[in-house]
Amino acid sequence: MIYNQYTQSLLKYFFDLSRINIIKVCVLPVLLHLIGISIIFFLLLITPIAFANFDDDEGCLICHSYPRMTRVTEDGAVRSYYVIPEVYANTVHRNVPCRDCHTYIKELPHKPVKEGVTCNTECHSIKNPATGQPFSHKTIYDTYMQSIHGRNKIVDGVESDKPYCVTCHTNPLYDPNEETPPEHVVGRCVLCHESEKFVTQWYKHTSRRIRDVKRSPQRIVELCASCHDDPKLVKRHVEHAEKEGLEIGAKFSIAVKSYNDSFHGKLTNYGYENAANCLDCHVEQDNFYKSVHEIRPSRDPLSPVHKDNKVNTCKKCHIYADANYAQLDAHPTAMPGQGDFRHIAEQIYNIISVVTIIGLVGLSLIETFARRRDGAAFQLKGGTSWRRKIKSNVDIEKN
Amino acid sequence: MKLTEEARSILETSYKHNRIGDTERQEIEFLIESLPEDRKLIYKNVDSNPIGDLERYSIHIRLQHMLTFVTFLTLAFTGLPILFLHAFWAEPFNILLGGIEITRIIHRTIAMIMIFTMVYHIFTIIFGAMLTIKQRRFDVRRTILPLMKDFYDFRDDILYFAGKKEQRPEMDKFMYKQKIHYFAAGFGNTVMIVSGSAFLFPEFWASILPESYASYFQELMRLSHPHEALLALLVIAFWHWYNVHLAPGRFPMQWTFLSGKITREHQIEEHFLEYLRNLVESPEEREQLREMMNRKGLLQTSTPGEETTA
Repeated sequence: MIYNQYTQSLLKYFFDLSRINIIKVCVLPVLLHLIGISIIFFLLLITPIAFANFDDDEGCLICHSYPRMTRVTEDGAVRSYYVIPEVYANTVHRNVPCRDCHTYIKELPHKPVKEGVTCNTECHSIKNPATGQPFSHKTIYDTYMQSIHGRNKIVDGVESDKPYCVTCHTNPLYDPNEETPPEHVVGRCVLCHESEKFVTQWYKHTSRRIRDVKRSPQRIVELCASCHDDPKLVKRHVEHAEKEGLEIGAKFSIAVKSYNDSFHGKLTNYGYENAANCLDCHVEQDNFYKSVHEIRPSRDPLSPVHKDNKVNTCKKCHIYADANYAQLDAHPTAMPGQGDFRHIAEQIYNIISVVTIIGLVGLSLIETFARRRDGAAFQLKGGTSWRRKIKSNVDIEKN
Repeated sequence: MKLTEEARSILETSYKHNRIGDTERQEIEFLIESLPEDRKLIYKNVDSNPIGDLERYSIHIRLQHMLTFVTFLTLAFTGLPILFLHAFWAEPFNILLGGIEITRIIHRTIAMIMIFTMVYHIFTIIFGAMLTIKQRRFDVRRTILPLMKDFYDFRDDILYFAGKKEQRPEMDKFMYKQKIHYFAAGFGNTVMIVSGSAFLFPEFWASILPESYASYFQELMRLSHPHEALLALLVIAFWHWYNVHLAPGRFPMQWTFLSGKITREHQIEEHFLEYLRNLVESPEEREQLREMMNRKGLLQTSTPGEETTA
């Protein structure tokens, strides 16, 4: 009832033509809209500059702030050179001026770029607060170059399949809502450090490392699999190794598949966090963040999965592990040629299963036919005393 | 009826074990002699209580069956969603139980009950056998141990089913099917326990095995656990449930697993030698059989007196 009254009064209000004031109803809203839209447009126009957190002293944004700043390469791929200032302002490198990495840019407008950015360049503008020296990733870069994955930025052939820094370091953007520093901490720091922005950044920088933010085991396996489970890539490398006479790991071509088939792999797939993933065995755990860049093949005596180091690696989790235990295959497979033992065992099991089931079903069928012939019935009442209904009078008479 | 050599030997052993006197012996012999030659006529015409007439399983065996029954099905229904984690039906099943972690914990807990049941069973049969030996009533033919006779029984039974023989073979308390099933279950349980423990304690198994075999063993166990489980599930689904539920005449179910008793007609049909022992051991059973056969007119009308004069 109330609803109806309300609807009626509303309808009356809108459709009562005598009440309409032309200026109020038609002109004013249009004007308001126009003003609103202009304000929004103005805001949109000034936004990149207004919210950009970094100073474009080098003037790169004169060109690179254009969204259409693209080029079609010789291969037909579209390359975008558009830099979104407010996105860049949220990346890990937000405090690094462009030319600290793009060192080859000498004048504006610059010449076509031939070389890319490498990660071992020293920063001119950022000082290492501990030493006062220019900051650089050189230590990690040199470690990485020692590893099986080590390669230069610009290479061709099979080398280019190896991961460069950015293959793994995808550097996700900081989520502005994530880990906002508690009020009482910021308030305390700001007393001396004076800048809230500075304090917030330091808080985030430190707390992120304390919280040990890294990929979950499932994501780690996914990351490794993105190359090691790529059949074309694997084939290319196996063929290359054969051609050049290089050594290649026994499990190289089946690494991910066999891991997923292993106990560790299954548990990781279940979402269990404590099972070993790729990095737990293939990386020395003592100085993880350094040695994770130094993955070596199992034939290298420095590798934690080298046959001499295996026991200690197993012991990291399996505290009772001994030399026998280290013999267990962490990458089991039933593929013919790779895991013949398991392949044959599987075949035998399959044969046994099929023969058993066929045999038992056959036995049951012949028994059913014979018992039906004997006069046994599927009789719901009377339980197992199945011949009572028939009484076998025929048999008696025959006798 | 005339007894075969085998049945005669069973009967004589039973006389000895039960210390049967001459009079009673004569009575039993006369009853057996006056039964019709065709065993089919006996088991088709006796009256049976569907719940069971003759003692077969003690309370321990029934309890063990019940425990195995419950643990086996629970293990299967928690194991399958772990094995086929990514199947469409596995996820809701896991969620129902509280997630895959909980499913795994339930699986292991129930496994402990299953292992307990197996130990309980081994103790039961060992002490049971010791008791019968002490009472001087032990007869290996009455146990579930496989004998050569079972192969012949199996052959004869198939021949009967195929219509090549007149009678089913005279089988003992445990027929060939039950023996196969029992040892399949025993073997399967052992494989499941060993392989399951190889998952839980790989270090232990590696340490007691020679170095070159440790890896193969672990591989084999990883393979055996699901294969053996699926095989067992299929055997249970196709064969055991067929035998006790679906076979014509056994439908809808045998009550033996609850009552511990077997029906008279089933005993005579599939366990005739055990029925002979029942006749020796129980005067009431003799009385009932005589009365039943007499009523149906199947008892041969000779008396002990007439026989001696003839």
